[in-house]
Amino acid sequence: MWIYEKRLQFPVQIKKTCPKTASLIISQYGGPDGELSASMRYLAQRYSMPCKEVGGLLTDIGTEELGHMEIICAIVYQLTKNLTPEQAKTAGFDAYYIDHTAGLWPAAAAGLPFNACEFQSKGDAFADLFEDLAAEQKARTVYENLIRVIDDPDVLEPLRFLRAREVVHFQRFGEALEKTKEIMDSKNFYYFNPEFDKQFVKK
Amino acid sequence: MNTVADRMQMLRQITEVSFMVDDLRLYLDTHPTEKKALDAFGTAMKQRKQLLKDYAAEFEPLTADCVCPETNNRTDFCTRYPGQAHFAWADGPAPWEGGAN
Repeated sequence: MWIYEKRLQFPVQIKKTCPKTASLIISQYGGPDGELSASMRYLAQRYSMPCKEVGGLLTDIGTEELGHMEIICAIVYQLTKNLTPEQAKTAGFDAYYIDHTAGLWPAAAAGLPFNACEFQSKGDAFADLFEDLAAEQKARTVYENLIRVIDDPDVLEPLRFLRAREVVHFQRFGEALEKTKEIMDSKNFYYFNPEFDKQFVKK
Repeated sequence: MNTVADRMQMLRQITEVSFMVDDLRLYLDTHPTEKKALDAFGTAMKQRKQLLKDYAAEFEPLTADCVCPETNNRTDFCTRYPGQAHFAWADGPAPWEGGAN
């Protein structure tokens, strides 16, 4: 189960309304490499992991990603909470405003709604862990793209924190991959599916 | 005493020490017997528990485990029920409001 803690993992205190910036950052909520996708990916994959520690790591990183989703939503919310009718016409936010006003709805920067097809749960530990490693790198790229185009230091601070977390998660997933290899019998780790072809997993 | 400034300072301490706990938890998931990390986790967790307890006595409880109508929010910070025993879980600003209102 989950327990809620009434605070953000990293503080968000934005003073300046900017719907244009919100329309870009929302991608890390509902976009292809966003935090919703990340948390759902890890929390879906963990059940069938053959290595117990890796299932535990997926639970902990998936949980942290839920906290990151909350940070992203707080940024979008604060950037738009005092929106004027004139600002609602801002290019990049006007179409969103028509359907959602200043409410939070998971979508990519280009307007595509969140979709579970943005992540996989393959039932194969190696396939899934390589997806997780790639996901952290892709999310890092998005944060770097955002950091390059955004000027407001109040927005940049939490984005830099979130970018650094992608790097740490990548490192931990690399270690999880090695741990999964350790429980395989074969010298060719990638020839079997350790979640299905259980005879190749060390007892 | 400046309630708002004190609260923000305490909240910051909680954020810092809790982040240590978060990061060390992931590290220990893949290095479960590393002495230095185990010690650092123990120290940070002890500080976090004490800070959460102290914070809930002064202000709104941040976790359900800290909810206690008799002792919560001594300063009546951001509550609709000042001077009255109440369920303080709803006191304080929503986390996404930036903690400053």
